[in-house]
Amino acid sequence: MLELPELNPVIHGKLRLALLSLLSGVEEAEFTWLRAKTGATDGNLGAQLAKLEDAGYVAVKKRFVQRKPQSLYCMTEAGRQALTEYVRALKQLLGGAIGS
Amino acid sequence: MTGSAEDLELKDRLSLIENMIAEGRHTTANCGWIFLLWGVAYYIAIAWSTFAHYDLAWPITMSGTFALMSFIFWRRRGNRPMTTIRRALGSSWIATAISMFVILDAIGFSGRADCRISIAIAATLIGTANAASSIILKWKLQFACAVVWWAASIISCYGTFTQSSIAFLAAIFLCQIVFGIYLMIREVQAHRQEASHA
Repeated sequence: MLELPELNPVIHGKLRLALLSLLSGVEEAEFTWLRAKTGATDGNLGAQLAKLEDAGYVAVKKRFVQRKPQSLYCMTEAGRQALTEYVRALKQLLGGAIGS
Repeated sequence: MTGSAEDLELKDRLSLIENMIAEGRHTTANCGWIFLLWGVAYYIAIAWSTFAHYDLAWPITMSGTFALMSFIFWRRRGNRPMTTIRRALGSSWIATAISMFVILDAIGFSGRADCRISIAIAATLIGTANAASSIILKWKLQFACAVVWWAASIISCYGTFTQSSIAFLAAIFLCQIVFGIYLMIREVQAHRQEASHA
């Protein structure tokens, strides 16, 4: 019998999944852009990004632009691999239902 | 949770991933004003050099326009993310600008300036940048602009001074002024659409 894959719990959270997907389409993105695209609050967004960072899926660069702090996030190779595997597992779980 | 509810949840996740990836890649490039700005700058430089016979009209106008563009860029910079497409587009225009600066200055300062050849070189380079950009964006209209620039270049090689001047002025009007205004209208419409979806 075919064993069904488990979904990566770090990515499975909806906001974290949205963040990783967003970052997969860009080279790097600012905190404010991620907030605008996800509609999340500062606190929640920061917490979820920290979880992704702890897992090694995103990297952050902090800098000052015109004396204002700016956080730039980018996806790491591990993050890209994890998202690819997550999508593969999702598709496997859905099986035949994916086309319907 | 039932099997079909779980499927629905998983499908939602898949579409969330697809939507977010598309969102990240979608770049609302605000570049219409740049086309318009340079179109107006070319006209100013042409008018200044033709009617005032001032040798430094072109270098001064081009440098001033570059400074103005940099300032506007600096003021308008948003929080848009850097994407590979943005980098590719930017690099093709920067390379073109540097090439034009180097070759046209060299021709001018060497004293071997020929108006028709200078027009041909400028039109070819601008056409090349438009073509590269249109291929990256898969945008036929911009490729048509490239063709117009190349046509102006060929006319400059074979035609008289008057014919090459008319071709150059027409290319500026169509591919900088009209195209720039068209882009700006599209950008305003895109912003309105984004705002209504937000």
